[in-house]
Amino acid sequence: MPRRVAVTGVGMVSPLGATAQASFDALLAGRSGLRLHAPAEAPKPLSLPAGVCADFDPATLFGRARAGTLDRYSQLGIAAGQEAWRDAGLEQSPGEDRESWGVAWGTGVGGALVFERGYRDLFIGGRERLPPLTVVQAMNNACASHLAIQFGLGGSCATYSVACASAAMAIGEAFHRVRSGAAPVMLAGGSEAPLAYGVIRAWLALQVLAPGDAESAALACKPFQRERAGLVLAEGGGALVLEDWARAEQRGARIYAELAGYGESCDHGNLVRPSSEGQARALRAALADAAMAPQEVDYVNAHATGTREGDTIEIAALAAVFGAHAAQVAVSATKSAHGHTLGAAGALAAAITVLGLHHGAVPATLGEAAALDPECAGVTHVTGAARRGAQLRAALTNAFAFGGSNAVLAFRARATD
Amino acid sequence: MVDTAPAYRYVQERLGVDLKAVDAAAELASFGVDSLSLLELVFEIEEKFSVKLDEDTPPPRSCGELVALIERLAATKP
Repeated sequence: MPRRVAVTGVGMVSPLGATAQASFDALLAGRSGLRLHAPAEAPKPLSLPAGVCADFDPATLFGRARAGTLDRYSQLGIAAGQEAWRDAGLEQSPGEDRESWGVAWGTGVGGALVFERGYRDLFIGGRERLPPLTVVQAMNNACASHLAIQFGLGGSCATYSVACASAAMAIGEAFHRVRSGAAPVMLAGGSEAPLAYGVIRAWLALQVLAPGDAESAALACKPFQRERAGLVLAEGGGALVLEDWARAEQRGARIYAELAGYGESCDHGNLVRPSSEGQARALRAALADAAMAPQEVDYVNAHATGTREGDTIEIAALAAVFGAHAAQVAVSATKSAHGHTLGAAGALAAAITVLGLHHGAVPATLGEAAALDPECAGVTHVTGAARRGAQLRAALTNAFAFGGSNAVLAFRARATD
Repeated sequence: MVDTAPAYRYVQERLGVDLKAVDAAAELASFGVDSLSLLELVFEIEEKFSVKLDEDTPPPRSCGELVALIERLAATKP
């Protein structure tokens, strides 16, 4: 009998709220966390729709002294990680041997804000020296290391930087580690704080950001809609505690859902143009890994960022994999509400989907059904209002990255054990 | 002597501590300062006075020692 993997803790900081529950409640209520944002200390005027974690208060959470030693991506990630850890009830068992437990984390741009501050000081401020913690604040594995130190985890501590698939791959790799027996418990997720002036300018140069003003910013991200015009950058963090199922049952842990499968693939075609064939390979791999029939899947949390090409290609991949069942699959793009957190996106999607399976709820894509693009037809789009009281058996989360890396996670509801 | 106000303001912003109002014996650790944040703290104070302390200068442990450091650095500047 192969090992099963339980999700026993969930944490999230998003533009919708500073905790998993606050974020999920706001999502189900149909609120948007997006607004017009003007980055601080911008040398040229700049404002754009973005997802800022406005309710997140690192000074209160960490104390001012410690908060100042952390890049914002680490602050967001540690907050999500410690929420998941507490949620799993693992803070109450100190002294346990945790030398094989580990952390798997995802981030795309890591400590971009710290680097940007350093460059500004050097090139504009005329400073000769940088603060001594610049390297250890900005490095992409800083957040994972802080989490391992905080919880005394002595096994694998790895960070995956695979653009927008980073956190999904981290969760997938952690899942395999637990299922193989290498680690009984893994803390897995990702975090991103990409709203640095230079990072925003780089994304603007790529011409994939949705425009908007103060009035339209909240609904600027329009996945699957005719008038979609690009993605909306956002910051955030998400985390899951993955635990050997038998161990979780033995200690009486609350099991939110089962992480049953993980699939990955590479488009190997183009850095920015996705491929439905490549995505379908990852979807099929996740289903096979989970021994899950396509007909079991009731919900897909789509990658759908709101770009012209990406959304239709993802629907084509879902149609290819699900065949006649595609029309019955509920699909939503929650980035319409919380924006695109890049390397953390897979963690937010996983946290939302796990809570959805647990509560029997499907969050909606913000916007009206009438605005949907016929070219994105073929699945059951959940729009406007969230579906509550849903009997969900299984759900997938998609994370598709620039560079062509695709990662799909397959979850089963707790009830189907 | 250079103005010490920016250094005190920095500590106030960074730690939320008014060094002139707090007990001099209070440990910096009681405000959450650990070895990493102490490195940053001393670095930024050095920057305020454009000096680099000798490597064998013991780092401040208490609020009083931090005040003494700031005043000493200010006094050594023309």
